[in-house]
Amino acid sequence: MLEIKPIINALRRSKVGAILLLIQIAITTAIVSNAAFIIQDRMTYLQQETGYPEQDIFSITVMTYGKDRDLSQQFEEDEALLRNLPGVVDAALSNAVPLSGSGSASGMGLKPAPEPGRNVRAGYLFGDAHMLNTLGVELREGRNFAPDEVIVTQDPGKVPNVAIASSTFVEEAYPDGDGLGKLMYMGDKPFKIIGIVDKMKGPWLKDDRPDNVVIFPYIKAETYQHIIIRTEPGQRAAVMQAVEDKLLAAYDKRVFTNVITLDENKRQYNASDTLMLRMLMVLIVVLVAITALGIFGLTLFNISKRTRQIGTRRALGARKSDIIRYFLVENTLICSGGLMIGCTAAVFMGQQLLQRFSLPALELQYVAGTAIMVLVMTLVAVIFPARRAAQISPSVATRSI
Amino acid sequence: MLIMKNVSKVYQTEMVQTHALRDFDLEVKEGEFIAVTGPSGSGKTTFLNIAGMLEPYTSGEYMLDDVNVGKLSDNQRADLRNQKIGFIFQGFNLIPDLNLYENVEVPLRYRGIKAAERKKRIESCLEQVGLGSRAKHLPQQLSGGQQQRVAIARALAGEPRFLLADEPTGNLDSLMARQVMELLEQINRDGATIVMVTHDPELARRAPRNIQIVDGQVADLTLYQGVAGQTDRQVVGG
Repeated sequence: MLEIKPIINALRRSKVGAILLLIQIAITTAIVSNAAFIIQDRMTYLQQETGYPEQDIFSITVMTYGKDRDLSQQFEEDEALLRNLPGVVDAALSNAVPLSGSGSASGMGLKPAPEPGRNVRAGYLFGDAHMLNTLGVELREGRNFAPDEVIVTQDPGKVPNVAIASSTFVEEAYPDGDGLGKLMYMGDKPFKIIGIVDKMKGPWLKDDRPDNVVIFPYIKAETYQHIIIRTEPGQRAAVMQAVEDKLLAAYDKRVFTNVITLDENKRQYNASDTLMLRMLMVLIVVLVAITALGIFGLTLFNISKRTRQIGTRRALGARKSDIIRYFLVENTLICSGGLMIGCTAAVFMGQQLLQRFSLPALELQYVAGTAIMVLVMTLVAVIFPARRAAQISPSVATRSI
Repeated sequence: MLIMKNVSKVYQTEMVQTHALRDFDLEVKEGEFIAVTGPSGSGKTTFLNIAGMLEPYTSGEYMLDDVNVGKLSDNQRADLRNQKIGFIFQGFNLIPDLNLYENVEVPLRYRGIKAAERKKRIESCLEQVGLGSRAKHLPQQLSGGQQQRVAIARALAGEPRFLLADEPTGNLDSLMARQVMELLEQINRDGATIVMVTHDPELARRAPRNIQIVDGQVADLTLYQGVAGQTDRQVVGG
């Protein structure tokens, strides 16, 4: 015996508390479902596979102020030194460090400029034949750079003529699946794609094409350089500690800054997302707790207000379970109203976030999941006060209160 | 119909033990109309609560329609209350958020009676108390006398064999009190057994049988009978 109709009628006649609770439930549902979706979206983003063994890679930035050395030669010596250090798997100089939020990108043309043609955006790295091994990525097709294809120079006019690209880039640029061996262009300069890497990420995870990466066999012998180093598992900390002294011992007219692990680099780049994630989690917990406390408090208030009524119902034949059921049904009715409004508001809010902040479209299962969670939470919040109400003695009905 | 033997009720706090009823004996037969009187604090309401199974007693035996109430579970007592007893309270105890129809419906819903049957009974009972046309009104739209009549309709709707009235006219003026009393007398004539707690000697005199509770026991009413001057009344002593 659920008493749905009389409960609805009673709620209609005494609606202020119920409406406030309904609004609270609606707001909670709308915000929590969107927040949960954003959290899930960000979690997926933060936990995405980058293709790199992040725990084994670190980078170091070199600023050379000495003028008494040929930088091209010095860098080659540095690379050889690093590769021979105990615990080092491989090392490579580069213009940028993947995942760091700093680097270069360009539209790679399928036709030489100025011919009209499609451009495909890609982040790009400079590096020699050791770059793939240093980053721990593997070729799916084609081959690595040959030694004679690598250009180490200070002359901006000298550029390589081959490149290795990520599979995502190749698939976008050449949807027919025949990218290997094709030419692509930066401006009017052609580069033949000689190798395709399975999976790798560029400098910016938040780029609209983070998986489009191209590596050119090119080392600009400039005073400012990054060195990427991959170590044996578990050796990274020891190598990081030793590397600066070793390089300084080789040539001391330079400074080393920003000795940083790849995962820390990524963490710093994603710090704002992590902060947002935590704030949203706190928001969800606070909102759900406030709603639960609101329901708990309102039910307790209703019970104290209706003590005589509950006693009378017991006197008229209500079992304890009838009293508990009454409050559960009343709560479920209010909650259902709140959830209907809340779910609608959640979808609307999701559309607004999509339009205004370019967030992905809210998936309806998050709204449904939140609605179920809120319903369960409200039932849990109401069960204790309802059980307390059931303990009210029927003799209350004859007392003068 | 109702037999209490040596029923005692003790309220125990940390400091004090209060004997609300002491070795209380009473037998109420089918169709009787009994007025229970007594000074304030004498145990009238405790007797009514125990008779209506609203609270447990400490010792003794209470049989209602040959059922030993002391051996029932809480759920069984609730069901028995619902099926056999109709309550009329001093403060009416109508549920303010429910209209008259829904108020009368409350005990019927707990009994699981089907909607069509409920409707029939509710309309009939509201007609009987003269409020058939006001079924959709809320209690606060009625006078005190009318509210008490709704409470009587609610008590009657379950067709109980036993009506317990706790100061049914206590909150009413004399005219309304008389109307309510006439209604109760009519219900008694129709076959219901009524036990009415009242502090009003005039109302008590209208009941065919009076008992007085003093210090938790049924008092000797010989003296009272003389005052009432109605020799045809049956007077029961403890």
